[in-house]
Amino acid sequence: MTGLLDFWNQSLPQLLTGFTLSLQVTGLSLALGIPLGLVLALTLQSASRWLRWPSLVMVEIGRGASILVLLQFVYFGLPSAGLTLSSFASAVAAFCWCTAAYTSEIIRAGLQSVHHGQSEAGEVLGLDPAEILRFVILPQGLPVCVPTLLGFSILMLQASSLAFVVALPELMSKAQLIGSNTFRYMPLFALTAILYAAVCIPATIVVGRLERRLSRHI
Amino acid sequence: MIEVSGLVKDFGAHRVLDGIDLSVQRGEVIAMIGPSGSGKSTCLRCLNLLEAPSAGLLRVGDVTIDASRPVTRRQRLGFRRPLGMVFQSFNLFPHMTVLRNVSLAQERVLKRSRREADEISRQLLDRVGLGAKADQHPSRCSGGQQQRIAIARALALDPEVMLFDEPTSALDPELGLEVLNVMQELAAGGMTMIVVTHEMHFAESVSDRVLIMADGRIIEQGPSAEVMRNPQTERAQRFLSAVMNR
Ligand SMILES: Nc1ncnc2c1ncn2[C@@H]1O[C@H](COP(=O)(O)OP(=O)(O)OP(=O)(O)O)[C@@H](O)[C@H]1O
Ligand SMILES: [Mg+2]
Repeated sequence: MTGLLDFWNQSLPQLLTGFTLSLQVTGLSLALGIPLGLVLALTLQSASRWLRWPSLVMVEIGRGASILVLLQFVYFGLPSAGLTLSSFASAVAAFCWCTAAYTSEIIRAGLQSVHHGQSEAGEVLGLDPAEILRFVILPQGLPVCVPTLLGFSILMLQASSLAFVVALPELMSKAQLIGSNTFRYMPLFALTAILYAAVCIPATIVVGRLERRLSRHI
Repeated sequence: MIEVSGLVKDFGAHRVLDGIDLSVQRGEVIAMIGPSGSGKSTCLRCLNLLEAPSAGLLRVGDVTIDASRPVTRRQRLGFRRPLGMVFQSFNLFPHMTVLRNVSLAQERVLKRSRREADEISRQLLDRVGLGAKADQHPSRCSGGQQQRIAIARALALDPEVMLFDEPTSALDPELGLEVLNVMQELAAGGMTMIVVTHEMHFAESVSDRVLIMADGRIIEQGPSAEVMRNPQTERAQRFLSAVMNR
């Protein structure tokens, strides 16, 4: 037992630096990707085909190609087009793309859940489309998305382990590295799992609370 | 005040309005009645361009819309400016307090300051008997209260004409009465109103003129008591006897 605790104690600092990186990549991808998802949700419904088509291509590739493909495309593929990104930047770019693509659908569904009479009411009051969006649709539609977006965010944190393919020393890479030196995979991955769970389980509980709170006024 | 000529609305191959001609004087109160599906709501929605008319001319004040020409956003805004609208389902903004519901458009559209807007909103809410509800959310109000808030919200923009689409149909008779009282006061105050309604009492005693619609046309119109008591066409007689005997 003390052997296990000692081993955990030794590995923890390394694992934590890896986990910090995982959290950074995930956080940054979500912080950039969700607003981009909102933009895509809007441009996908735009009347202009010059906005709609490029958005559709972005979304379909982001959802259709697997994250592994996106990661390697950005990291190994883009340099041949003259754009070389660090493994951190590549990971953020790929996860951001994926986030934008998936959340655009989540957000679009949320905005569509707002009753049509709401925008009509805004319209007859003389609000312009941007004002209707800002004051009427978004404040009602976005809260509807929050639980789903949080659920998605948890998945993204777990998926961030895939960034090992672009040599990003995040949590899973660190665990692999320690494992290949010590061969104590079992306790190692147990600790890794505990770290992921330490963030994901509280987050799941928060999602449940939010779902109940947000249904208050509606 | 309002002049409609040759208004036609098609939904695909289905002609819902088939040549509506209507002129409304300032201060006139018009009740629009008729069987379900006769096109009353569509007519009202064309009047404020929530539906794009397929053909015809619409004039409100000195802005004219010609359905055969594309309408710019500015024309539409200008055309709607003097029109207030009240929906059957209230359509209050559930995420805002009652006060914000009434103040928002004043600030955005009329560029009133928040203080000024809120002050006017409170006066209007008092006028519809709901001053005490200003800081609550609409979900805490009864249907009748919500509809009166919706009326206050429309009045806050100083409309010259108020359009009502079955404002009491979603309400219990008792709650509907609160709303009808507010509308009656508005009418007495000289507001120009077009009211789609199933309230025969309102049509007969409050409105100046009744229009009976059937199959996308106005089949009969005239001074309220006359039309209601003594309809000329057979279709109108049938409709009126059906609703009166209910
Ligand atoms: N958006 C739409 N698309 C297709 N058809 C429509 C649409 N809106 C209304 N209609 C059709 O137009 C006709 C007239 O509808 P409208 O709602 O104007 O009738 P109404 O007189 O208001 O009836 P009610 O008393 O039931 O409210 C109906 O046959 C309806 O099915
Ligand atoms: Mg109707």
